Order: sequence, then structure tokens, then C-alpha cells
Amino acid sequence: MPLSNATCEAIRKLVDAYPERRTALLPALKLAQGDVGYLPSETVVETADLVGVPHSAAFELVTFYTMLRQEPPAKHMVVVCAQLPCALRGAEALLRELHDGLRQEIADGYVDVERTSECFGACHRAPMARLGDEYRENLTGPAVSQLIQELRRA
Amino acid sequence: MTIALDYEPVLLTHPGRTTPVSLAEYEAEGGYAAWRKALQKMSPEQVVEEVKAAGLRGRGGAGFPTGNKWGFIPKSPGAKYVAVNADESEPGTFKDRELIEVEPHRVLEGIALCCYAISAETAFIYIRGEYVEAADRIEAAIADAELAGILGRGCLETQVNVRILVFRGAGAYICGEETALLESLEGRRPMPRSRPPFPAVEGLYRRPTVINNVETLANVPAIIDRGSGWYNSLGTVPRNTGPKIFCLSGRVNRPGNYELPLGAVTVRELIDDYGEGVIGGKSVKGVLTAGVSAPILTADKLDTKLDYDSVQAAGSMLGSASLIVLDEDTCIVRAAALMEEFFRHESCGKCTPCREGTSWLFKILQRIEQGRGAPGDLDLLLSLSGEVSGKVLCALGDFATSPVVATVKQYREEYEQHIDEQRCPFPAW
Repeated sequence: MPLSNATCEAIRKLVDAYPERRTALLPALKLAQGDVGYLPSETVVETADLVGVPHSAAFELVTFYTMLRQEPPAKHMVVVCAQLPCALRGAEALLRELHDGLRQEIADGYVDVERTSECFGACHRAPMARLGDEYRENLTGPAVSQLIQELRRA
Repeated sequence: MTIALDYEPVLLTHPGRTTPVSLAEYEAEGGYAAWRKALQKMSPEQVVEEVKAAGLRGRGGAGFPTGNKWGFIPKSPGAKYVAVNADESEPGTFKDRELIEVEPHRVLEGIALCCYAISAETAFIYIRGEYVEAADRIEAAIADAELAGILGRGCLETQVNVRILVFRGAGAYICGEETALLESLEGRRPMPRSRPPFPAVEGLYRRPTVINNVETLANVPAIIDRGSGWYNSLGTVPRNTGPKIFCLSGRVNRPGNYELPLGAVTVRELIDDYGEGVIGGKSVKGVLTAGVSAPILTADKLDTKLDYDSVQAAGSMLGSASLIVLDEDTCIVRAAALMEEFFRHESCGKCTPCREGTSWLFKILQRIEQGRGAPGDLDLLLSLSGEVSGKVLCALGDFATSPVVATVKQYREEYEQHIDEQRCPFPAW
């Protein structure tokens, strides 16, 4: 799927916004991902061409950063932090509850529940998860059942 | 909560608040007075000298004297840059997030003062990709300050230009390493550069560049406004002055950000008086003071004062002051494995010892915790750590070995119990 006209325009603007065009590459890839949903090879190539850098420069970033995806995501992406501060406050229990409560949705590929060892800077409101770009914090007790209800297919 | 100390916060002046302080509010509370003072009454050199006299040390972890860093920037003409490190990703650290989300103008005023001090016209705020809310808020604050003529072209009707750009990362701890951050800003894989040249000489776009942490810069407005003499009255001169935000997390009743002067409280006082003690009245097994990147302090070190020198004398580092509390029920091997899993995930892969070493350290820790440890494993962990630490380009490789070396040395009997009994004696998480 080619990039929308609006995205192409936004990427061209980015290139002009920085002292050197290659600085625009990462933000451009994020815009492209926002448009297409992920970064298939043809989107990476198109973005690199718009920024005016070699295709390899763009693949170098896509294959490095965890927030750039080469595969289409599930409808709802839940990423649970399991690093020490969250682990000390019930992250593993949260993961179990999400896996149990969303068994069907996960099997269908509608929801993806991922455990990460990365810290998201919400240790004082642990355990937590990112739902897409949103932070969901203090995920204990009723807050977990509420999140599960929210992610169940209507 | 028992407040052990009569202290008026300087950085997080609205404790408990979650919404951003607006430009109007910030100005009504004396905000941008330092910026006015600098532009109207001080030369760039005087700003640098005041920050030097204040004794401000970098709050991102390394503790390098900020004024000295600024002083390294050559006076020669041509572009210079400020890169603000808002890539906060150290486990247990959530202070820059609160500063940006709640006090965005304090951060911007600090950035503007740094730009003025080194004659830079452009600053990049490198903010981690997951901090979407924080990035949106500081972008809105920049727009407000530019509209009011405080920042942008011709700040406060002078000839001084300050353009602040927000650059959002995409998920990589290594971008908090200053040269990896520059690589990321230049659109390349964020892999650390070899030094020299240092960023003060050849940084962003091969131009002189200052890289400072968010909290470091948030200290600067108060230093310029109230003077280095006042700043020196907080903490102890010369090496531990000023306020510090302590991020308290783990097995405490009330985790959170607590701003206090350096050295004002001990680890125990922070846990008991601010964190309201350990959950369930349990005892403390150990406390990490610099997230997962420095040795753990054992329970007999809880009366250590929280400043750079005292924590170092106790055998660890204050670092970003991210205190993670482990209680008596916490399995130290499992904790070490989890910390190592982090470094395995975050190693950028440039230096072989770090890329391979973190992976092997994790696997060995994991097998010990799962009851499959072999008798020689502890010596293997220590010798392997020795092959990583000091043999890599950046500090990540050194950080990655400290949870292993420190816990094996200080909790050796717990490791041995796992290996002897071929099981983990602690309850599951």
C-alpha cells in the first residue's frame, strides 16, 4: 500500500525541518508506520526515497528499534513491563491474568499480549502495560478485569 | 506520611500533580525570571561560571560537573548544539517523565539557559518513543513559549535565538548513551562512538555539542535566579550540592518521586519516612540505588546517606538515584536474571563482549534460578563478567556485569543454595 498524500507531504516537511535530511529518517518511518500500520519493505523503500537516503539506511533503523514493526500488528497490542520494579509488584500475575482472560482473543490474533524486560518509567504505578501508545498503570484487582473487558470482542 | 525535613521543592514544585503547569502559572510563580535575568544582565560566560560555582553535577547518572561540561565548548564561531537527554529508560527511573509532564516550562527554561551559555541556537530534546504524553506536552509548552516571545527568534526582544525541537525515539535504552543519542539524531543506528573526539569538540553534525539530562537542566533556572550561594546551602559543598529527585520503587508501600537535597536522608529514611516502609512490614534484603546499573547495597548499608560520595563509599553509585527495594522474600538470583535479561535486550550489538556476554550471563543466571545450575557456574559468571567489563566502547557493558558480580559476591550462599538443592527456594512471582 503506497503512503497517503498527507503522509508524503508531512515527510517532505520533516526533511526541511532539520539541519541534515537524514535526521528526518526516524520520524519519517514512524509517520509511515502510523499510516500503513507497519513497515513492509515497500513502505521502507518509499520512505527512504522521500527522505533522500539509501534504502539500506532505512532498513538499518527498522531492524533495530523495537517500536518499528515489519509485521502487521494485532488489533490491540498490550505490552506488559516485567522488569524488576514491576516484577516486584505483580507483573507476572498480571501477565497470567491477561493470558487467561483473553485466551480466545489472543488465539484469534485480535489481541497480542507481550512481556518485555524493558522499563517504561512507570515503576511507581506498577504493574503497568502499554496499550498501543497509552499507559495503563496500577494494574491490580478491578483495573485488570476492566482492561480485559475492554479488550474482549464486543 | 512523616515528613522528616522542612524542605521546599525546587524542581517538582507541585508534588502530587499530574497535569502540566501552564505558562501563565509558571510565570506567576516566578518562572522565566532566570531567563530574563540572564538575557538582560549576564554574559554567557557568567552563566557558565554561576553553574560551575553552584557545583551542579549531571543528574542522568554520571555526575559530571555541568559547568565544566559547558566550559569545554570552544568559543569559535559556527553552529553549536544542545542535546537534551530525555531517553529515560533505566529500570526504576521515572523522574524526567514527571518533570516534563508536569513542569515542562522549568525544563525549557533550563534548556534556553544552556543554549545561551554555550551560544547554541538549536536544541534537540531526545525523548524516548514511549513517552508520547510527555512529548506532546513539551511540544505544546514550546509553542506557548514561542508565541509569548520567550523562546524562538529574538527571545524577549533580544538578538538571541533559541529553537527547541522535540525528537522522539523508537525504543532503545542505548540512546541514553550520549554518543548513541547523537547517532540516533543523525538518523543512523544508535551505536556508541569511540572517543575522542568528545562531543564538546565533535558532537551532533560534527559540531560542538552539550548533552545534558532533563533533571540537570531543570536545576539551572533556580541557580541563575537565586544564585550559586543559595544553591550551595542545599546539600554539602563542594561535591554534593543541590536538590535531587529520588525515584523510589519496588517493595515499598508508597513508591514515587521524592525531591530532597543531596545527602539529606539515608536510604533507610527514604524507605521508611517517604516510602512508608516495606510492604507487609518485611525486612529489606537489598536496595539498588542506580537502577539496575550499579552494585546492590546490602541491608547493612541502609544508613548510607543519599549523595554521590556516600553511596560510592558504600560500594555502589547514586547514578540517576533510582532506588529499587528488594524485600526478604525476593529471590536474588531471579532478580539478577531479570536485570541481565534487560541488558541482553538492550545491548546494541556493536561490541562483541557485550553482545555475547550479556546473553550468556542471562542464560547461566536463568538456569541457576530454574534449578539447573552446575557447581562451577558462579566462577563462570565472575570470569565471564571480567571478559565484558572494561572491554567495550560504552558503559552499558560495564553496567551489565554489576548486577551479576555484586549479587554473586554478596549473596553467594543464596546462589549456592539454588545449585545445591537444584531448585529456587523462594515463592514464585
